[in-house]
Amino acid sequence: MSDGKRINLSVLLVTIAGNAIWATAGFAQSSAISEHAQQIDQLVAEQLQQVGQDPRPGIDDYTFCRRIYLDAVGRIPTVDELNSFVADPQSDKRFRLVNKLLDSNGYQSHWYNYWADLLRVKYVGDKLHHPGNYSEWIKDALRSNKPYDQMAHELINASGPLYKPGNGATGFYAREPMPLDHLANSVKTFLGLSIECAQCHDHPFDDWTQKDFYKLAAFSSKTHLRVDPTPDLEKKKYARDRKTLKNKSFDEWIVYRESLRVKHAAIYGNGTGFMRLPHDYQYDDGQPFEAMEANVLFGKMPELAHKLTKAKVDDLAKNNFGPQINSRESLADWMVSPENLMFTKSVVNRLWHQVMGTELVGPLGGLSQDEMGTHPELTQELIAIMKATNYDLKKFLGILFNSKTYQSRSLALSADAPDYLLDGPIVRRLSAEVIVDSFLSLKTATPDEYVATKFRWDGFTNFYETSQEMGVEDFVNYSIKGPGRGAFQRREEVAARKRNGDIGPKHLWRVSCYGHVDGAHHVAMLLGKSDRDLIDGANREPNIPQILYLMNGHLEKEITKQPQAYLHRKLDEFVNPEDRMEIIWKAILGRLPKESEKPMVSHDQSDLIWALLNSNEFRFVR
Amino acid sequence: MNRRKFIYSVGMTGMSLPFLDAASAAGQAPKAKSVINIFLSGGLSQYDSFNMEVDRAVVANSKIISSNVDGVRVSHYFPTLATQMDKLLVINSMKSNQGAHPAGIYKMMTSYDPRSSITHPQLGAWVSKRLTTPQDSLPNFVSIGKGSAGTAGFFPGQWAALPVKNTRTGIDFVSRNAAVTESSFKTRLGILESLNGDFDQEYGTKDTRAYANTYKGSLKFMNSKDIDAFDLKNENKHIIDLYDKQEFSRSCMLAGRLVERGVRYVKVELGGWDYHDNIYGNMPANAGKLDKGLSSLLTHLTEKGLLDSTLLVVSTEFGRKPGVNPNKGRDHHPDGFTCLMAGAGVKAGQIYGTTTKDGQSAAEDVLEVTDFNATIAWKLGIDLEAEEMSPSGRPFKLADQGVARKELFV
Repeated sequence: MSDGKRINLSVLLVTIAGNAIWATAGFAQSSAISEHAQQIDQLVAEQLQQVGQDPRPGIDDYTFCRRIYLDAVGRIPTVDELNSFVADPQSDKRFRLVNKLLDSNGYQSHWYNYWADLLRVKYVGDKLHHPGNYSEWIKDALRSNKPYDQMAHELINASGPLYKPGNGATGFYAREPMPLDHLANSVKTFLGLSIECAQCHDHPFDDWTQKDFYKLAAFSSKTHLRVDPTPDLEKKKYARDRKTLKNKSFDEWIVYRESLRVKHAAIYGNGTGFMRLPHDYQYDDGQPFEAMEANVLFGKMPELAHKLTKAKVDDLAKNNFGPQINSRESLADWMVSPENLMFTKSVVNRLWHQVMGTELVGPLGGLSQDEMGTHPELTQELIAIMKATNYDLKKFLGILFNSKTYQSRSLALSADAPDYLLDGPIVRRLSAEVIVDSFLSLKTATPDEYVATKFRWDGFTNFYETSQEMGVEDFVNYSIKGPGRGAFQRREEVAARKRNGDIGPKHLWRVSCYGHVDGAHHVAMLLGKSDRDLIDGANREPNIPQILYLMNGHLEKEITKQPQAYLHRKLDEFVNPEDRMEIIWKAILGRLPKESEKPMVSHDQSDLIWALLNSNEFRFVR
Repeated sequence: MNRRKFIYSVGMTGMSLPFLDAASAAGQAPKAKSVINIFLSGGLSQYDSFNMEVDRAVVANSKIISSNVDGVRVSHYFPTLATQMDKLLVINSMKSNQGAHPAGIYKMMTSYDPRSSITHPQLGAWVSKRLTTPQDSLPNFVSIGKGSAGTAGFFPGQWAALPVKNTRTGIDFVSRNAAVTESSFKTRLGILESLNGDFDQEYGTKDTRAYANTYKGSLKFMNSKDIDAFDLKNENKHIIDLYDKQEFSRSCMLAGRLVERGVRYVKVELGGWDYHDNIYGNMPANAGKLDKGLSSLLTHLTEKGLLDSTLLVVSTEFGRKPGVNPNKGRDHHPDGFTCLMAGAGVKAGQIYGTTTKDGQSAAEDVLEVTDFNATIAWKLGIDLEAEEMSPSGRPFKLADQGVARKELFV
């Protein structure tokens, strides 16, 4: 294809360094990307050859355009976007479109939905956990394309105030502050391993023992979420007024308590490197409450600066785990290390699943250590590519998107289909958010217009900032003369909204723009959006309320018969029914009408739009 | 893949045949056909409602009134129910291990403690999965009210509750859009079928077929002869007249209509019981709703001859503290609270279990949440020992280790 020497050189550089050396010049980057894409294609081709299966055919520009918009920015292309891509005469237009989309606001919107599901961004009222700051942190990481290993490290090791702008990574710990549950979740999230059984007993079919679990938990022992001021501060400053207010007025006391919490809620502790076995430890290799020194599940054990020996800790009181030695940071180091095979394998498995529709290696949250999937060389290669990009998610996705493997005809997995050899995408339903955001591509010419490009304030971050200057007296005054119990949060939300300026009308927001004050996006929930209680909680199943919505719901008013909708404004440019039919097909299905479909032109326009919006072709990617 | 909420799926299309519960315990008392669960979210104050068997000080500002059953007394906030206590069993010895609302509700609904690694199916989802037959034209788990509908947990979404958020609007989008004529709707379905058929030729999978089936199921549901059950205007006038116009009363009436059509599990939520302050100022209005709605429902079921086959359960996530706090409210109290049962051969007109006289904790015949749920399921004839596998291959039982308290029934 291009100069063989140059390509070899870039491969050499990449391999020598282990962690990438990426030239920044456009051409070198493009050659590195296509080089890696070719490596993927090569391995796929070899596997196909081995079993004597033909490579899948490529796809036309229409199919590619729809697919890449869906996978890179999470919505269908608008008619204009589709037309302009198809009309582009340049041979590198697919490469350019991939780059353009990965650099657009749509990328952040689409991939936020994915990471927010994995990281369970959710408002948990009774724990005073407001996820606005957490959510903004994730959006910022996507905007700045923070390397994934760094992102994971910051989430695992976060500490300090929950609502301090920029410190939103603490939301990850706050979301599950029970230490053992938190550990099991972190391991599932970042290593793809399911070790939660070992929390209570030796794992029934994997290798993990309960003791292994507790040794791993030792790294982050004594890390905790505290929403109220520290005991010291409480005693010296707040306790007296708190008591006075409680006996005087419930409302004033509540506002005092809640406003103090917004200022003081924080993640404390960085690990003592020791944990104790549970009171009911049942195996012969340990005693209840016995001190366990931190150890990793596999791989190289980071060095810890222990101040006490195990024997010394055993002599301490049962609730004493020894002094803090910052062992949680070592846990984060071990988790995200390029030598931790599970870390890279898990994220590669996840991204492949997102883009191609199937698992590369195994279940997203239930991998096993030595498993390499049905095409181990391909898995190996993708792991190497991820490392070579220095965990650059956009580059990695760019490589996948530029492969012929991705740009090939999608396979419908069914009984009479050929064996699936990880040789391209499969036919699958779009995620809930993508379906809803695709409606937006029919409502407006600029569906990504209102995706945030900078930090957005909410009531909690706004008040956190205000409260930095507030002393005890101010808090007392605030709760006595403040807006009262119910209005406290609302008032701060209003102030935050003012600060954020114009964020556009809600009906033109992408699903990712819905915050935590706005409540769940009802239509997205019907379509299977995760409620973020569990990791990977989304589903793509049909159900009756969902279908009733699609047939009889608001779409009629918003799109099907809405003269203001962008789709209708496009239609107004034409009088000829055949031309109009073409617009409808392009807008909703991203393709031209087939010969066999052309007789449908006799139908009423709104009937056609309804039928296309309800069709499988619309909600599945092919 | 995991958690499914607000979802009712292809159960009626015959696509996924539910198995009949053949393994129910034989030779027991007659089974209940249906359950109506009135759920009082927020935490009903047992000492201002149905547990008067404590020191007078615990009852605080509530007045104690007698009922139509000797020895059963209630608070003055429930004057209408006081005339129907012969139909109700009062359980004063409920006990939960969860003291926060979401966790308490979760425990009550699923029998399990909440964990971040799994979502357990609610009791209604278990009932629906166990008892649905291909002949049923209505879903067997319906949830009425504004609160969260019933999740199917790790079960497929088809076993989640069908939500009816408001009795006046009924099931969302169950009728054809007003702007679309019947003939136009037919045309649309015709075009849709042809598009889907075409797509399936090249790209058909079990997922595309599941969609086609669910469209069929949804259309069948839209056209079902039983759909009129959701429209209260269709009820007999003398039944309508039993109820007042409040939404909770209307929800009760709908629940009665649904069990008449054979629906197995209907949940009606009445929230707002979380009175941390000014309980005596705020509770009367809500208590009035419960007093009237529940009384009317008892009469409704009795008149229709449904009370023998319907187990009516009034429950809440926990109770409230025996002491009134400085803000004249009561705080959460999971250790000793009160639930009610009626119908299906329950020992009506009696009180089961006690709390200590100071109201601090459940004392005699303590009834844990798991046992409470086991009792309901047992009465429906469901095998408590049957296990269902979670996606990670872990077995779960309907009421965890709960044991049915058969002595609650005649």
